[in-house]
Amino acid sequence: MSLIWLNLCRSPIRTALTVFGTAIALALFCLLEALLGAFNAGAEMASASRLVVQHKESLTFLLPQAYASRIGQVEGIKGVAQVTWFGGLYETPLPEGGKREEFFANFAVDMEQYLKLIPEVIISPVQYESLLKDRTGCLIGDKLAERLGKGVGDRISLRPLLWPKKDGHPWDFTVRAIYTSNSEVFDRTLMVFHHKYLEEGRVFGKGETGSYLVGLKSASQFAEVSDAIDRLFSNSPNATRTMSEKAFNMQFISMMGNLKLLFRFIGTVVIFTMLLISANTMMMSGRERTREMAILKAIGFSDRHVFTLLVGESIAISLLGFLVGAFGMYTLINLAHWNPKPDFLSIFQVPDAAMISALGIAILTGLVSGFLPGLAAMRLQAAEALRSI
Amino acid sequence: MTPIVNLKNLTKIYYKGDSEILTLDHVSLQIEPGEFIALMGPSGSGKTTLLNLLGGLDTPTDGEVDVCGQDLSVLSSRELARWRADHVGFVFQSFNLLPVLTARQNVELPLTLQPLSSQERRHHAEVALRIVGLEDRMDHRPSELSGGQEQRVAIARALACDPQLLLADEPTGDLDAKSAQDVMELLKRLNESLGKTIIIVTHDSHAAEFARRELHLEKGVMHMERKR
Ligand SMILES: Nc1ncnc2c1ncn2[C@@H]1O[C@H](COP(=O)(O)OP(=O)(O)OP(=O)(O)O)[C@@H](O)[C@H]1O
Ligand SMILES: [Mg+2]
Repeated sequence: MSLIWLNLCRSPIRTALTVFGTAIALALFCLLEALLGAFNAGAEMASASRLVVQHKESLTFLLPQAYASRIGQVEGIKGVAQVTWFGGLYETPLPEGGKREEFFANFAVDMEQYLKLIPEVIISPVQYESLLKDRTGCLIGDKLAERLGKGVGDRISLRPLLWPKKDGHPWDFTVRAIYTSNSEVFDRTLMVFHHKYLEEGRVFGKGETGSYLVGLKSASQFAEVSDAIDRLFSNSPNATRTMSEKAFNMQFISMMGNLKLLFRFIGTVVIFTMLLISANTMMMSGRERTREMAILKAIGFSDRHVFTLLVGESIAISLLGFLVGAFGMYTLINLAHWNPKPDFLSIFQVPDAAMISALGIAILTGLVSGFLPGLAAMRLQAAEALRSI
Repeated sequence: MTPIVNLKNLTKIYYKGDSEILTLDHVSLQIEPGEFIALMGPSGSGKTTLLNLLGGLDTPTDGEVDVCGQDLSVLSSRELARWRADHVGFVFQSFNLLPVLTARQNVELPLTLQPLSSQERRHHAEVALRIVGLEDRMDHRPSELSGGQEQRVAIARALACDPQLLLADEPTGDLDAKSAQDVMELLKRLNESLGKTIIIVTHDSHAAEFARRELHLEKGVMHMERKR
């Protein structure tokens, strides 16, 4: 009904503000969902058929490299790779002085075994060969390559935060391979390099590794295998704790857990308030038109008609808000790849589910805020309303 | 001829808390098709109440209301709405029009309830506006019209579905003498040339002179009649 549209145009500023309010609330909602999604990305990219073995005390303690062969003999294991968190900071001098700093996840790994365990990583055979041949070579994700503006053959230099080099210089690498992934959720901003390169250059920690990545022959054997591994070393000074890759990745997330909760709380309050304000405005504009509703009834519109009119109006407003807010945010993040904090959020997307929820919230807001005035208009005694001009 | 309005012992009582307000007290009345009636009486005498009952906007406490051959007491609120759309046209004292719509759109409004194409709607609305002499104001909004013009648009809207019965509650109450004269002449013309049955409520004895029959209501009782 075009009457709905005309009513929206009656006070364009109010309509625009209400639409804007709803839009902001829904945009915030999408942003929030994208952020929370980014926090959870590590957990999502984990595979059920991989385990991580770390020191029983804490992630910050190291394990002897000798464990590798003993773990490898446990029944049900497909492969073992050392993985040590390197945590280097990328630095390049800028032409105009100063320097550009970037942070991304970087690890030292047993390259050949590691890549066997992570089939999500896809590299061309040629690049794979040259990666294995070059001791200082490294592998980076295509999204990281794009961010840094690096291609195969370019050099990358990392300032060590944990692992100083013997000569006191930054660690230099050559990009030998760039990976993509066949999985939507796999992080394409990682950097990995040869564990032997770390081993040669580092000042301390020789013969040790941060953790072991273990591949299972079958995901169902998770419990037996992790028990078996932990039993192997239970009496040694360096006892282990074996967990699923997901649980391992979650350790990082849980550090941010409280932050996440706070985030969600603040976000929800803000969104709720804005929707409440929009709903209130819609209700007011419904109430102001009692007389018009009475006139409509007098000329033959039924109770259902006037109800539909008012509910339709507020649904139209909140759907407009959805289009502007949620789709705006979707375009910005998913299509234009806007990323407010690229250093930390490697996977930053408004999930489709969030869009559906946003649509649901919009329709619900429209329904709820149109319902009361609609109901009032429906119950309205035209005779009464027309008397009291 | 069967009467277009047939009221028998029509009674309306409003209940407010414990008190009862007897607004219409056993009113009986017959109106023939084509009549032009002025309903007069002091404030609070029940004129508006009676008019609303005739138009199915309100329901009686007791008695019979038969309008356009239909017993209104048997209709549900939804059926009443539909019946209003087909059989009666209302004109009120003021604020008749929807401010967001142009004159033409206002007149088209009741036509949207009829099974018509948009061209037919447009055509009907234009005819109605021509009848009231506002063909050059079709695309004006109510705020761009004078009070008298607004009332004429309201009359055009009441006419749009070609109802047998026009009900007008103090249609000239807010108008200056000249505009009031125009509106009354228009109603008279509709009565004479189109044969519409018209019932107006008015305080203005000058306006009442246009009608062919005057009814006087006092404290809910039909008091006296005068024929011209
Ligand atoms: N909803 C209601 N509840 C209680 N009393 C009402 C209600 N509606 C009308 N009345 C009473 O019914 C009586 C008749 O009212 P009505 O509006 O029909 O008078 P009227 O003749 O049209 O008066 P006026 O010339 O001022 O328009 C009044 O005393 C009024 O107070
Ligand atoms: Mg009255």
